[in-house]
Amino acid sequence: MIELNDICFSYSEMIALDHINLSIKTGEAIALMGANGCGKSTLLKLINGIISPDSGSYRFHGEEVTHKKLQDVKFSKLLHQRIGFVFQNSDTQLFCSSVYEEVAFGPRQMGLTESEVESRVNDCLTLLGIQEFSNRIPYHLSGGEKRKVAIACVMSLNPEVLVLDEPMNGLDPKTQRWLVDFLKKLNKAGKTLITSTHNLELVHEISRRAILFDESHTIVADMMTEELLKDAELLKRVNLVDTSYHYQL
Amino acid sequence: MGNAENKFDDMPEWLSKSENYIPLSDKDTFVNKSILSVFKVLSRIKKQDSAGGARSQINVSLHVFCTFVLILLVSLTRSFIFVLIVNVWLLSVLSMTDTIRLVKILKMSMGVTLFTAVVMLPAFISGNTYSSITITTKVFATITAMGLLSHSTEWSTLTRALKRFYIPDIFIFILDITIKYIYMLGEFSLNMFYALKLRSVGKNRSKYSSMAGIAGTVFLQSKEMAEDMYHAMECRGFTGEYHINDKSKFKWRDYRSIGITAGFFILFIYFGRM
Amino acid sequence: MHIPDNYLSPSTCAAMSAAMVPVWTKAIRKVKEEIPKVKIPLLGVGAAFSFLLMMFNVPLPGGTTGHAVGGTLLAILMGPYAACISVTVALFIQALLFGDGGILAFGANCFNMAFVLPFFGYYIYKLIKDHSRSEKGEYLGIIFGSYAGINVAALCAAIEFGIQPLLFQDGAGQALYCPYPLSVSIPAMLIPHLLVAGVVEAVFTAAIVVYIKKVSPGTFYKGAKEKTKAVYGLVAGLICFTPLGLLATGTAWGEWGADEIKEVVSGGNALGFVPHGMKEGFDFSAVMPDYAVNGLPEVAGYLLSAVAGVAVMIIFFKVLSNLKKDKAGNNVG
Repeated sequence: MIELNDICFSYSEMIALDHINLSIKTGEAIALMGANGCGKSTLLKLINGIISPDSGSYRFHGEEVTHKKLQDVKFSKLLHQRIGFVFQNSDTQLFCSSVYEEVAFGPRQMGLTESEVESRVNDCLTLLGIQEFSNRIPYHLSGGEKRKVAIACVMSLNPEVLVLDEPMNGLDPKTQRWLVDFLKKLNKAGKTLITSTHNLELVHEISRRAILFDESHTIVADMMTEELLKDAELLKRVNLVDTSYHYQL
Repeated sequence: MGNAENKFDDMPEWLSKSENYIPLSDKDTFVNKSILSVFKVLSRIKKQDSAGGARSQINVSLHVFCTFVLILLVSLTRSFIFVLIVNVWLLSVLSMTDTIRLVKILKMSMGVTLFTAVVMLPAFISGNTYSSITITTKVFATITAMGLLSHSTEWSTLTRALKRFYIPDIFIFILDITIKYIYMLGEFSLNMFYALKLRSVGKNRSKYSSMAGIAGTVFLQSKEMAEDMYHAMECRGFTGEYHINDKSKFKWRDYRSIGITAGFFILFIYFGRM
Repeated sequence: MHIPDNYLSPSTCAAMSAAMVPVWTKAIRKVKEEIPKVKIPLLGVGAAFSFLLMMFNVPLPGGTTGHAVGGTLLAILMGPYAACISVTVALFIQALLFGDGGILAFGANCFNMAFVLPFFGYYIYKLIKDHSRSEKGEYLGIIFGSYAGINVAALCAAIEFGIQPLLFQDGAGQALYCPYPLSVSIPAMLIPHLLVAGVVEAVFTAAIVVYIKKVSPGTFYKGAKEKTKAVYGLVAGLICFTPLGLLATGTAWGEWGADEIKEVVSGGNALGFVPHGMKEGFDFSAVMPDYAVNGLPEVAGYLLSAVAGVAVMIIFFKVLSNLKKDKAGNNVG
């Protein structure tokens, strides 16, 4: 479904992605791993069509996504509906004055009737267990609650692919556990998951396949997540762990 | 249908079906434009960060002073030739700077100059040729001089250099905080714009309230950040006084730039007589 | 509304800066009273917010966009004195680091956007709010305040422009700075502000206040009651300006300046430019005709032209090589 072919990208003079090749099939659950600043977030932005590659090609369902095509309003809107993005900082994602409005923002734009919107919003709120927040102001929620609202407002668009940037960051262990189970469930329901994470304890639960970046912004490993976790040498080499790391499940 | 519900207990069934959605067109250039202008500011701040100390060859306070004098002379003079000489000087300095910087400065000065040219066009057509051309060239000189200053010095040294002009330390401190927070809040709002863009999958009927939500959130965020900052500063013993050390020495290059400025001053007086 | 350098005469700039000194002094004293010393970072962060607000584009009918200045908004949120300082700092950074607005014109820009705009907007808002005491009245106050604020600021800028040709002319009657009299500058500045920029400012300000009120109602500035009086002082000050406006209405707009120019030409004064080294206006169409600049010794003219030529060539090739590199890039949006 997603084909990245020899992608390069740099911010003015700083290289962020160096000849990236990656192919993701429908229904996969993939984890992007690597030390800080290795290019994970950039790749997620690229998949979401926020940025476009300097060179190389990005195909979504066989159709190439280019800078020019992204200028086409209809094309980019459809892409944004089909790929949902949960930002690392949930605060940046919430700009409405109530949780209900926040979740309804997407479906309302899709031309659903108000009653369809309502049922969809309620489904999403129930799904994430945040029904009672419906009238609350997103700005004042706790970190974990904000994350749930952010996920709900992406889910209400019913995207095929869910892209999550460090979704476990700043969550307490209980909420982390909940999120892992939720993502598993989504994947079972047929959603493709692309997650960037540093969380070595939970990564094997939210992904079957792992992509490892090294600090020169290239992919050094593309293998089963559990295999990768066993390879302590490799993880050390890309500066993701130090010598105290031991594989355990 | 029922199947899906049974399989994934609490999943609503629409979620396991793929959406058959054809988006409507909408005019949301405002999001892209906001992204672009915030992005430009951010990359400008980031760039100057990597400009490096090696760039600032001449004493920054002196550079500020010389630029100010030059701008003042250009503004005061009634001689077009003087303005031309200044322009040629600035162009030659510009041609010595590296390409990336050159393009940035030129973009800035050409933008304002073209704007001025358009504004002055009616005056030019109706016969006010002298002033319209002089003003346009003066504008070019001024903006280029400012561009050369701000693009060749690190901003932290630039703000620090202001101390020499008896600008209070606390004002300089506020300036530094402002630049830092323009970057932090800018990055925050940039991400908010991205989020808005990604979720704008159809027609947004309340664009103003989306924008207001972003601006409002940025304001509340900035308030929170400011509170955090002064708590942190209080913990480090900040009492409201702030002192800056400016230890810079004159180098031979500095005498050269004093010479050049003096030269312009003489030229200014010489052409002023005519 | 950022005035670049050379549109206003240095003496106007000096006068405007001098006018700002008591305002700044008062603002600093007030802010010191209102917020403790340790809370100074708030001003910097406020300035950063004010800077960014000017980057936010809002949609206008027809798919174009505009941006708000937000002076009244800041005054409502932080109080007019803190708003004055924050906008001043934001303008300073724009002028010094981004080339937006002149260095010499900094005082004038501050006068318009850091003083007149927030104070006028705020006191109009306060006046309406205190008289109606209902929520509706408050919103009415926000809309009228921000609309009036930006328009009065634009009027001030227009007056500053418009008095230039009255005050500063050379021997030949040619304007040295902004060449447009009040009869041109006022409609040119005010029409777009009354029709577009003012509306954007009002709607955007109201929308942000509605949002913040809903999300965090405790964050608003609570000014003392008696301050409302100051608005009368401001109005009185503006009334002093109006004679200038009346002067302007004397000549219908469209005919501006024509008399002066006719005078210059019919008086045989076209050669009045010669003392400045110029024969005729059209000689300017090429910057340095015949590789020699009139009024300069021929050798010096050659030299100047040569230096300019070399510099321009170098710049041209550097830009050209940069364009090639840039083609692949450009990745925003």
